[in-house]
Amino acid sequence: MQRCCSGAVWGAMAIFLAFPGSHHLLGQGLSLASKAASKAAATPSWIPPRTAGGQPDLEGVWSNPTLTPLERPAEFAGKPVLTEQEAGAYVQRHLQEVNTDRRDGGAQVDVGRSYNEFWRDRGNDLVADRRTSLIVDPPDGRIPPLTPAARKRVEESQQWMQAHATDGPEGRSLGERCITWPTSGPPMLPGPYNSDMRIVQAPGYVVILIEMIHDVRVIPLDGRPHLSPQVREWMGDSRGHWEGNTLVVDTTNFTPEYSFHGSDANLHLTERFTRVSPDAIQYEFTVDDSTAFTKPWTARIPLNKAAGTVFEFACHEGNYALTDILAGARAAEKRAAK
Amino acid sequence: MYWRNQLQISVLGAVAAAALLAPANAQTQTYKAPRTADGKPNLNGIWQTMNTANWDLQGHSAQASLVVPMGATGAEPAGLGVVEGGEIPYLPAAAEKKKENYASRLKLDPEVKCYLPGVPRATYMPYPFQIVQTAKVILISYEYDGAVRTVYMDNPGPAPVDSWMGWSAGHWEGDTLVVDVTGLNDQTWFDRAGDFHSDMLHVVERYTPVSANVLNYEATIEDPQVFSRPWKIGMPLYKHVEKNAQLLEFKCVEFVEELMYGPLRKQPTK
Repeated sequence: MQRCCSGAVWGAMAIFLAFPGSHHLLGQGLSLASKAASKAAATPSWIPPRTAGGQPDLEGVWSNPTLTPLERPAEFAGKPVLTEQEAGAYVQRHLQEVNTDRRDGGAQVDVGRSYNEFWRDRGNDLVADRRTSLIVDPPDGRIPPLTPAARKRVEESQQWMQAHATDGPEGRSLGERCITWPTSGPPMLPGPYNSDMRIVQAPGYVVILIEMIHDVRVIPLDGRPHLSPQVREWMGDSRGHWEGNTLVVDTTNFTPEYSFHGSDANLHLTERFTRVSPDAIQYEFTVDDSTAFTKPWTARIPLNKAAGTVFEFACHEGNYALTDILAGARAAEKRAAK
Repeated sequence: MYWRNQLQISVLGAVAAAALLAPANAQTQTYKAPRTADGKPNLNGIWQTMNTANWDLQGHSAQASLVVPMGATGAEPAGLGVVEGGEIPYLPAAAEKKKENYASRLKLDPEVKCYLPGVPRATYMPYPFQIVQTAKVILISYEYDGAVRTVYMDNPGPAPVDSWMGWSAGHWEGDTLVVDVTGLNDQTWFDRAGDFHSDMLHVVERYTPVSANVLNYEATIEDPQVFSRPWKIGMPLYKHVEKNAQLLEFKCVEFVEELMYGPLRKQPTK
């Protein structure tokens, strides 16, 4: 739906340049959707429709951009919800701070901002209930501390990445390598763009097509056991079931190289999808990984019905940046050796 | 006389092709597929071909691996061919290019770099794919590279832009799902033998249930820049009936990093 891509993958942009109107459409979709979401909150008796196959209907294209951060910023410590006035002031200030179309700051800063607002779809408001974090548990809105072992692992990994940043592909992030994105999930988080997904439902399955970076989650509902522990996947192995009108998805078997904010191969993710109005799904996920986090944590994110469709994001195919980063580093070394 | 001969030959060709397809057609007429909740033939399931079309659409002998250390594990299995009439009708210049592609296939085949496979190649790669059918859209999710297509059943209009997997518009003709695919870029190949196309490619696919666990798949391929006439491939798609069948991940980007970026690695200081 949106047009773009990672800082690393300019090549993929060409495809999306042909859609000057899509941003506009998306904006409209979102503002309508947030109105609908607040309305739905006031009418909890709303009963979601069923698909032709009889499942509660989650089908359609959904989008999750929001300015509400995953974790509560220090300035809002002890303040889980903002007043309307505070929210307005925060949104205005925040949008000004992150605005890449600004021209103050000099030439070097300008270059850094060349990946400008045209490409972005970060939303233009907080979630409808004006929370200061997407995390709802623990109550401080912050990811619980890592276990000592996990902290050591994360720090060592960060140090290694810094020391080998341009030595080879492994020094770059998984996103820059087009392997997986920190927001593409599971769990799905708002990203800088392409925060769109299409849900389809067939007998025995819910399937989620995630635009970032063309990932598909096929979720069986037939109660089959998880894959054997030897089979590991970047997106994990998902199993779903219905609790009333809520789709509950359990995901395990993550590959050890996948780390969601510090998680490890023992990550057990539980996601809950509840259609709360014609135009909104309440999406909630709980991260449970006792070897990585000192306690489980939960975040809640509205998914808003979006206009348009999910387009192809050919990330790897357009990834000229990874080649250029490494070639540039080799050229710099050669020059330094002279 | 020349034309008459040509006509006879093409009629004979058509008869031969019809004979080849006869068992499938006969089944089509008698078999009535189970229905979805909205009354359409139910194509939901995990499907896969059982042929060597991804190595070469045309008939071919087995041959040695291009990568010597792989020995027999990298060798190419033989195949009967899936092209109706046997030959792909290349224009002369395109036939030359196909030969060049074949000679350099280890370097040029987009599959080697884990690029999205395009259509119809995604169908007959040696990986399963899952059809997820609803009234408005049919999602086809392929195990290879997490490739995916959305088939729009409500006339989505012309392709807004070219892409690797194209723009798919579907409709039903009796029990057959017909998918019209346009908006394909010129970066994909049809197989590992260098068979190729331009961005003028137009593919019409037909998925017809012929028995409980078999779909008949046909694709008509048209590209006036590369072929002298439209041509057709056909093959059965078999359903995975294992109770625990599921698509697994084949995120191959990771597997081609050494190939694509290895030469750009920092060399150890001497």
